[in-house]
Amino acid sequence: MSESLELTPDEPGTVRTRTPIIEAHGIVKRFGGVIAVDDVSIAVESGEIHGLVGENGAGKSTLMRVLAGVLAPNEGAVRVDGEPLDPGNTRAALEAGVSLVHQELSLVPEMTVAENILLGSTPTRFGFVDTKEQRRIAVDALKEIGVSVDLDEPIARLSVAMRQFVEIARAIAREPQVLILDEPTATLTPAETEYLLDMLKRLAGRGLAIIYISHRIPEIFTICDRVTVLRDGRHVTTVEIGETTPGAVVQHMVGRELELELQEHREDPKIGEVVLSARGIRAPGVNAVDLEVRAGEIVGLGGLVGAGRTELVRAMIGADFRTGGEATITLGGTTRRVTSYRSAITAGVAYIPEERRTDGLALTMAVVDNITLPNRTALSRRSVLNRRRVKEFARSLADAVNLRPPEIQREVGQYSGGNQQKVVLAKWLGREPDVIILDEPTRGVDVGAKAEIHRLIYELADNGAAVLVVSSDLPELLDLADTIHVVRDGRVVGTLSGRDADETSVMALASGQVEADGS
Amino acid sequence: MTEHTHKPAIHLPPVAEIEQEVEEKAFKFSEWMAHQGIFVVTALLVIFAMLFVDGFASLPNITDVFNRAAPIGIVAAGMTFVVISGNYLDLSVVAQVATAGVVLIAVSNVFGLPVAILVAVAIALLYGLVNGIAVGVFKANAVIVTLSTTFIGLGLLRWLTGGSIYFGPNDGLIRAFGTARLGPLPLAMVLFVVVTLLLSLVLTRTTFGFMVRSYGSNREATRLAGVNTGKVVIGAFTMSALGAMLGGFVLAAFSNTAVSAMSTGYDFRSLAAIIVGGTSVFGGRGSVLRTLLGVVFVSVLTNIMVLSGLGFGVQQMAIGLLIVLAVSVDALARKGIAS
Repeated sequence: MSESLELTPDEPGTVRTRTPIIEAHGIVKRFGGVIAVDDVSIAVESGEIHGLVGENGAGKSTLMRVLAGVLAPNEGAVRVDGEPLDPGNTRAALEAGVSLVHQELSLVPEMTVAENILLGSTPTRFGFVDTKEQRRIAVDALKEIGVSVDLDEPIARLSVAMRQFVEIARAIAREPQVLILDEPTATLTPAETEYLLDMLKRLAGRGLAIIYISHRIPEIFTICDRVTVLRDGRHVTTVEIGETTPGAVVQHMVGRELELELQEHREDPKIGEVVLSARGIRAPGVNAVDLEVRAGEIVGLGGLVGAGRTELVRAMIGADFRTGGEATITLGGTTRRVTSYRSAITAGVAYIPEERRTDGLALTMAVVDNITLPNRTALSRRSVLNRRRVKEFARSLADAVNLRPPEIQREVGQYSGGNQQKVVLAKWLGREPDVIILDEPTRGVDVGAKAEIHRLIYELADNGAAVLVVSSDLPELLDLADTIHVVRDGRVVGTLSGRDADETSVMALASGQVEADGS
Repeated sequence: MTEHTHKPAIHLPPVAEIEQEVEEKAFKFSEWMAHQGIFVVTALLVIFAMLFVDGFASLPNITDVFNRAAPIGIVAAGMTFVVISGNYLDLSVVAQVATAGVVLIAVSNVFGLPVAILVAVAIALLYGLVNGIAVGVFKANAVIVTLSTTFIGLGLLRWLTGGSIYFGPNDGLIRAFGTARLGPLPLAMVLFVVVTLLLSLVLTRTTFGFMVRSYGSNREATRLAGVNTGKVVIGAFTMSALGAMLGGFVLAAFSNTAVSAMSTGYDFRSLAAIIVGGTSVFGGRGSVLRTLLGVVFVSVLTNIMVLSGLGFGVQQMAIGLLIVLAVSVDALARKGIAS
């Protein structure tokens, strides 16, 4: 049955077996008229870490959801250990030993670590929750992945990274044969990522088959045995990692020669007067921070996840409650205090939030509606929208951000992550903001869209906007920022010039290895 | 790039147009039912009634159907704003319709019509403000808030009126309005259609209507776009209150009487019309014109039951069943969208 699969000889010293533990044949998955996965076959062996890469919308997540029984394919079948899997039956997939760690975290914030690890398979005794057994299984699962955390801590109180680890423990507690991880490192810092990668290697060493989705090519080359590349829903190639190079993989992903190098620093940024100024900002997780951004300047906020950067920018512009300090916007000689979020927007601030799906976009509405929202006043007369102007306006902005396909009547939710982020940018670009704050502007965005978003950010700054970028993607931060403030424990612990900073110097400050230089 | 074929255009205001211009998807019954079903189902029901229900296809009966549909339709058209804003429903229309009716007749009997209308408008604005502030500013649950304001409003009305029935003078303007006709059409029905069109324009063409839809689709994204979301919700509940007030006027004028119990069932019958019309209880999707169709459907269905000699109990059961069916279809369609 596996004649169409290329099985490669085992490398000495690995526990990989020749027969695949999980194999999918000719999977086709359509959503309406759109083909998300088009005749893809994949096979993974026990003990193997199999990388799965591709741009956003390439069909990786869909394929994995078919494997895990979340979605039923239109064509094709999945076999686990030779046994056919009931399509679209999550419970059957779990029982067969396929565990999926979701891209979006799916834990219950109010429940404890132990309760979450056993969520959906809570052990019972005489119909009551068997808490002793629950704790035992949770402890075992956490031990298995080598993470120590208080079992009784509610999830809401854990860091993002720890939640991710609990999510993995939850998958492990079901004693899977196949573990699927969908971009587990998207929200992790380099140190946390390294920890996770080591953990996965250990798990694979004990015979677990792991399918690992990531946008980060270096991670794939660090841990994977083989890598499969998808493009536009189709299978491009599956190769042994030793027989390929990062450049070749990226080329397969994009299907064209790509100047992978994102634009380096701007040549000679024209930096003007201070526009955004914050003094002594205090909020939960933010400790008396001062900050300035000048016209034409790109200021980056670096630091570990949970350091308080998002909280800082949100408190500064009034999106969340501020317990102390004040922020001002100075333009053309007039200084205005930020007294509320709406006053910040009125003063010329654009804020692109971290969570585009929940905070950035109305997903069930059309592109044109999303673009209209912050620009409604400019597009109306006496509160009546001018529909012709609305359409023209949306069309020109969709073009400006290179939305693909540029269909402004289409629901935003139908677009891929990169295109959704472009819509978020488009809606704010329409206001010609003087201050633009971007929180993780390219998280979960493919390489091509990332370069385009960077180009837009440069353009904004070149046109004199004051730009503040929060990013956990270090190379991105180093590329974009003229000045980098490193945040730790809600304080700015160091300021580096974008020109001189490198990953080591930022991380040294972020992790507390180096103490502050006078700030 | 896939070819995009457009579905044949059905002429509806922009919101609905947007729904139709989405690229053609594989046929999914629940989605089709939620979005287009009302057109076919209403047509089928009317054809069925004309063929098989004795006395349906007569001018007096049709006029009666529309006379009864007018007040509920005006209430439902206003309440559509609350549903689209993602706040489920406004139960307090029961109290508001009765209050407006009693005020119209009782107050104009003593102080004259203009004073009665002014008092009724003030009460409607107060309802909009109280419901809107509790739900939109304090973020309280809309169902519980409006259930409570129903109690407050109806309680107050019963206390003040002692449950008395108020009659208008036989030669008054109110009676004249209640029995007036525009050609063959009752004036109430014309008013219903005009109000529906007007509210439809407010929802689709104004920035306020736009913000209601956007808020219903995603509250946080709408807030972060710089919208004063409290005002939007207060506005939605005020539209509902003004609709309920007008509905109360029409209902009272129709019989030239008013009593605190006159609006029983208006909450769920309006809701049935809105949801059957295809406006989503999850917020963000829907239109006032859809509510118009939903009202026609619910009214014709009720009329068929009356003509067939089925009592109020059966009618009540049917409305309940209809709502369960419609919200289930709505939820199934949403699931289809989410995946």
